[in-house]
Amino acid sequence: MWRPSNLDRTTGIFIGLIVLCLALVTIDLRGSGEGLGSTLRDGTQAAFAPVQRAVATVTRPVADFFENISDMFSLRQENLQLRERVTELERELQETESLQVRVSELEALLGIELPRDFDSVAAQVLAVGVSEFDHVRVIDRGSDDGIGLDMPVVDEAGLVGRVVAVTGSVARIRLITDPTMTIGVRVERTGETGYLRGRGSGPMRLTLLNRDAAVVEGDLLVTADGRFPAGIAVARVTKAARSEVGYSLETDAEPVAGVTRIDFVKVLIFTRDQAGVDDLEDLERLPTQVPTDPTGPAEGEGEEPPPTTTTTSSTTTTTTAGSTP
Amino acid sequence: MKARRIALAVMIVVAAVALQTTLFASIRPFGAAPALVLLIVIAYARHLPPDYALGIGFVAGFIQDLLADSPLGLWALVSTTTAFFVVRFRDRLEDDFSLLGPFVFGVTAGALALFSVLGTIFGQKTLADAGIVKKILLPSAYNLLLAALILPFITWTLGVARRRTAAFRL
Repeated sequence: MWRPSNLDRTTGIFIGLIVLCLALVTIDLRGSGEGLGSTLRDGTQAAFAPVQRAVATVTRPVADFFENISDMFSLRQENLQLRERVTELERELQETESLQVRVSELEALLGIELPRDFDSVAAQVLAVGVSEFDHVRVIDRGSDDGIGLDMPVVDEAGLVGRVVAVTGSVARIRLITDPTMTIGVRVERTGETGYLRGRGSGPMRLTLLNRDAAVVEGDLLVTADGRFPAGIAVARVTKAARSEVGYSLETDAEPVAGVTRIDFVKVLIFTRDQAGVDDLEDLERLPTQVPTDPTGPAEGEGEEPPPTTTTTSSTTTTTTAGSTP
Repeated sequence: MKARRIALAVMIVVAAVALQTTLFASIRPFGAAPALVLLIVIAYARHLPPDYALGIGFVAGFIQDLLADSPLGLWALVSTTTAFFVVRFRDRLEDDFSLLGPFVFGVTAGALALFSVLGTIFGQKTLADAGIVKKILLPSAYNLLLAALILPFITWTLGVARRRTAAFRL
């Protein structure tokens, strides 16, 4: 028969610590990102930021050395690719300029309010997550610079993530590739809406709501989600797909932003109010289908499903959000 | 003396977390970095008395928790379990030193696998990560390589001989 005296001291301490850990997990999950856990995290992050800054400065030459070695092998190939890309972009630029003129004329004709530019704060990535399982980045700007919770973060190519924690001097971004992230998107070419789920280091998973939809390789997916300004480039479809009868279309897409090698980012000073969804929520009925994760969020999960797939045209932005690929 | 060694151990853990989040953001061969904090826990647990080894495991994990995106206590649980496992098996390593490398690899892989399972249970969807196998095996392999530097360094900070008959006493 088992008796407590059968346990040695080490096992007893181990069990005690495990119970303590489980209690901490429970308290933190029940707090849902607020309370003691959040306070401790914010305080630690603020206190640890100078240490990270110092270590990053000291180790920069070492990091640069290894980066240069890895860059050396890929430089020639990258150079060729960039030349091709420049030619392609020059051609696209000419097309875009002529289209812009036409759009301006049509907007003036229809009396449409012009898209508003969002203020933004440039920031440098200070640190990454503590493990391979953390899809987060810590940036060197915080609430003192006007950054707030849930603000979208972009790089020169597109959406990187959103702010999930902020202190006076630093903020933490959750990347779009995090498996708990689900973003409402629209296929730019066809206008079909759906949602994109992060899958860590693997390609993101696109699900389209229309059961007759089809996508081709290279299709650009842009935000259509109340939490972000509409029209920010998020990912490109990597596998052409057509939905089968009775099933939603599912395929892979790669983020357009360099989420694994970001150094500088831009935080858009944008709140959900600016997306115009709060008014819609007051009606208790959304105009289009809500792209929720079919598996449903787990308890304690910070990520809420995107509130809507539509955004009022007066709040869209294309110039500051980096929506142009 | 005792307090100084404990303070040194905590400082080394903090330095490991700082390196993990800064230096290893750039040095990521094949898209992964070593699990440095786990390696430090393994290195300390090889020598310290069981109570202290568990304590170091818990503190190291808790510091990680405070900077991580996962629920508070999850890394502490994994690190404490790692320390306990090492304490239980460390005497066998003294008998056959060649087992140390595979042991570090196995313990790191086991700890990361435990974290991914617990993460999924607690809503982090860690097992939904398409590169989960890579995220477990590559850091374990890097820890195996780094062990050649880190394990002797920790042994040196504690001032103990590699071969011993009993746990080092603070």
